[in-house]
Amino acid sequence: MSDRVPRLPKVSHLQYLALGLLRQRDRPGREIRDAAGSFGVRRSAAAFYQMMARLERDHLVEGWYEQVRVGDQAVTERRYRITPAGTRAWEQTRAFHEAVAAAGSRRWSNA
Amino acid sequence: MPNEPAGPVHLVPRRAAAWFEPAWRDLWVGHLGRLTGAANRRQAATVQVRYRLALAWLVLDCWRLSVFDRSQSASATTTPKPREPFQMFASDVRHSVRRLIREPGFTLATGLTLALGVGANVAVFAVVEAVLLRPLPYDAPHELVVIRNRDQQTGVTKPDVAIGDAVDLAGRQSAFSAVGGYAAGQATVFGEGEPFQVHALRLTAGAFKALGVRPAVGRGLTDADSRVGAGPVMLLGYDLWLRRFGGDSSIVGRSIKVGQETRLVVGVAPRNFGFPPSGTTDLILSGSLPEAAPAARKEDWTFMLARLKPGASVAAATANLGMIAGQLERDFPATNRASTYYAVSLRDEVVGNTRTALILLLGAVAAVLLIACVNVANLMLARSVGRQREMAVRLSLGAGRNRIAAQMLVESLVLVSASAAVGVGFAHFGARALVAMIPSSVGIAGLAEIGINPTVLGFTLLLTVVTALGFGLVSTLATASDGTARTLMAGRAGMISRGARRASAVLVAGEMAFAVVLLIGAGLILRSFAGLLSTDPGFRVDQVATVELGLPADRYDSLPAREAFYQRAFEAIRAVPGVLEVGAAVVTPLTGNHWTTSFERTGYPVPPGERAPLVGWQVASGGYFKALAIPLKAGRFFDQRDRPGNPPAVIISEALRRQFFGTENPIGTTINDGDERIEIVGVVGDIRRAGLAEEPRPDLYFPFERSPSQGITLFIRTEGDPARATSGIHGALRSIEPSVVLLQSRTMADIASDSVQVTRLMLWLLGIFALIALALAVVGIYGVISYLIRQRTREIGTRLALGASRSAILWMVMRQGALIVGTGAAIGLIVGVLAARTLESMLYGVTAADPLVVAGATTVLILTALAGCYVPARRAASVDPAITLTVT
Repeated sequence: MSDRVPRLPKVSHLQYLALGLLRQRDRPGREIRDAAGSFGVRRSAAAFYQMMARLERDHLVEGWYEQVRVGDQAVTERRYRITPAGTRAWEQTRAFHEAVAAAGSRRWSNA
Repeated sequence: MPNEPAGPVHLVPRRAAAWFEPAWRDLWVGHLGRLTGAANRRQAATVQVRYRLALAWLVLDCWRLSVFDRSQSASATTTPKPREPFQMFASDVRHSVRRLIREPGFTLATGLTLALGVGANVAVFAVVEAVLLRPLPYDAPHELVVIRNRDQQTGVTKPDVAIGDAVDLAGRQSAFSAVGGYAAGQATVFGEGEPFQVHALRLTAGAFKALGVRPAVGRGLTDADSRVGAGPVMLLGYDLWLRRFGGDSSIVGRSIKVGQETRLVVGVAPRNFGFPPSGTTDLILSGSLPEAAPAARKEDWTFMLARLKPGASVAAATANLGMIAGQLERDFPATNRASTYYAVSLRDEVVGNTRTALILLLGAVAAVLLIACVNVANLMLARSVGRQREMAVRLSLGAGRNRIAAQMLVESLVLVSASAAVGVGFAHFGARALVAMIPSSVGIAGLAEIGINPTVLGFTLLLTVVTALGFGLVSTLATASDGTARTLMAGRAGMISRGARRASAVLVAGEMAFAVVLLIGAGLILRSFAGLLSTDPGFRVDQVATVELGLPADRYDSLPAREAFYQRAFEAIRAVPGVLEVGAAVVTPLTGNHWTTSFERTGYPVPPGERAPLVGWQVASGGYFKALAIPLKAGRFFDQRDRPGNPPAVIISEALRRQFFGTENPIGTTINDGDERIEIVGVVGDIRRAGLAEEPRPDLYFPFERSPSQGITLFIRTEGDPARATSGIHGALRSIEPSVVLLQSRTMADIASDSVQVTRLMLWLLGIFALIALALAVVGIYGVISYLIRQRTREIGTRLALGASRSAILWMVMRQGALIVGTGAAIGLIVGVLAARTLESMLYGVTAADPLVVAGATTVLILTALAGCYVPARRAASVDPAITLTVT
């Protein structure tokens, strides 16, 4: 078996989490942030959307504004969808973590 | 469904907009959800507060991220490198704050000293910014000038220009792109409900063009409007247009009666337009200058306003006007001999002599800051004893010198910034107190709203950075060591280097010098002020009320109507309890009035080619002299014999009698007024009509009884406090004529007090600054001598043990202090006498090198400073040698 290990992932843990959530379906930013919170990853709104803006800038996700209703008010919120490049980045990261996990379990079993 | 509001994206930096917008919408959605769920008003209010706090936090967070986190410029996926310089800076700030908290005595002493110094500077600068630096509210205001007239024969300067000269100046000048006449005053508007008073500005088309007024509605004044005989037109002030005419644009084209003329409204002035700059302008009325200069060149007068041609200077305009004045002098020697014209920038005109006062104050307050800095520097030097050891340890452990210097700089930056923040707080209140002392004659708009604006904050920042750099340097030099081991040893012994000791003594001597300079300045102003207050103006200012009034133009157009009104008014006022005398005059004394007229004694014609001498003039009733207690030297006051229809009469002042009649009795002789002969019926005492600092000049008085005008000032002598009689006087006037306009009511004592307001402002502030400087200098010398004694305690103990007397020790220490004080005082004395020359324009009855003031200021400083030395010297003399030799 080749010992070739995937490269160090290009995305942070939070970005990996966000991309993972978006692989399931398009989501508003608010929902991604709440979901990240349930994993214990807490970021201020500004820091979170700064991170999402970077993902957009690097074409890993696409974002757009969509109108929703709150009571009798029409409000818009930012929704995101993952791009093919985003999917690839997520898969590379996942492969990296799996390879690291596999390498770790081999060392334990060899010990 | 209501529309969604826009996010406040303007609150964050542009680079943060991309993530602020979705974050704010996120916040907004949550907020609306909570608001919808709120059960009552109280809950809804809580939700609103919560939203506002969250928004504020979001904005701050966006600023933090865009300022301190530069990782967004890298790839989304790269891990940002730690920002070492920032982290080091943050760590130095934390370290500095901890150190300062650990030394509360040092922090409080230096912090408060600096806060006072910075606060005083910022307060004075806030006023300087508003008065001298803030642009006037006109297009290219630096190009606006007014034209003034100076009579070189009498030395009198006038703000207005004779009509004949105005026409020729405007026609021959080549320095201005626009020039014209103006006059500001009150006017009554009729036919729009009840008649009402407004502030009116009469402008010729040239002056309108010079001001660069762009009407909000309709058109401006044109050359055609300013021709003699043109139909009178006007522009409404923006506020008046909104207030009285509901902002209706169809007002343009309507005619409105103003005073005795019906004027066509041609436009509306722009919002916030006012001239003079501090004034309100409700109406801009068209005015005119004759096309050719009239034969009687100096019968009528106007104020003149002009705009310099682009690139032209005030000096060039003055040269041009001077050349024309020379031509006029040659062409019309009988009227224009020794009469010259010059240009003054509009800002200088409105600021007046407050400019010199403020610049001097800025210098004085900077000296106070320098003295405060010297004290703080001395404290830092003393503190450096302990820190030399700390620095030596750090150097020996491998810290770079630059790193240590940077830390010193950050420490002083933290200290100075905190002090500056407190200082700005002091300045906020200080600036308001200062404004209250600025003379009301300073015509700058917005003085009331003076405060800490971005320019003032910029100045504070500059001051903070410069001061912090200075202290950083002092600390670095004081704690720098040439050899670690030596410094470690010196540090253990708690010794400050010889060089640092000498530097400290030099700094305190400099402090002494600054204090002497300020004390001399304050002393000179104090003597001037005392001199002004003790000056006899030639009349009594106490127990006199003045009431400035205007009569409705349409009802009091005729002389008999005015005469009847004033006769009844004087009777009614005399009946008010407490009123002793009442009189009227056109000019209020001590308000800077310099009206002059030609004087020619009958039988003494002016030689051809010569100009008749100019003398001051006033229109006054007989009661005016009695109310102001101006003494009658010969003849009589004006009375019923001087009413219209009787032979014309005039009263002269003693100075005029001395100059033109010598020992001859002037009563019964006549003077010429054109073809008319006017009999001199009385001689009265001289008064200082223009101001307390102005010498009395020859004056002519014409009878008010003969030509009572619509606008005058009443002078009322009362038994007690004149301010109390004012309401009774107002009531008496309104009972005769309900629509009489009472413009201003002040006591004569207040008017006299206002006339010395600039001197008072200087006295207060220079006095306060000089006292602060003196106190800081004494604290400085006390600190230095105390420190020197602490270092020499062992030596003093040894001397005492070897038989030195306590008085010898006292003398030894005092001699050391006296050397520092004496050196500083000597330098301060020389600099002070030289610097006092800048005060000369504000001095009255005292020279810049007044020996009493100079000697007094130096003595006060030397005695106070020696007292500061005496306390530690006494302590040194009472040292117990047994203890010092064993313990130290």
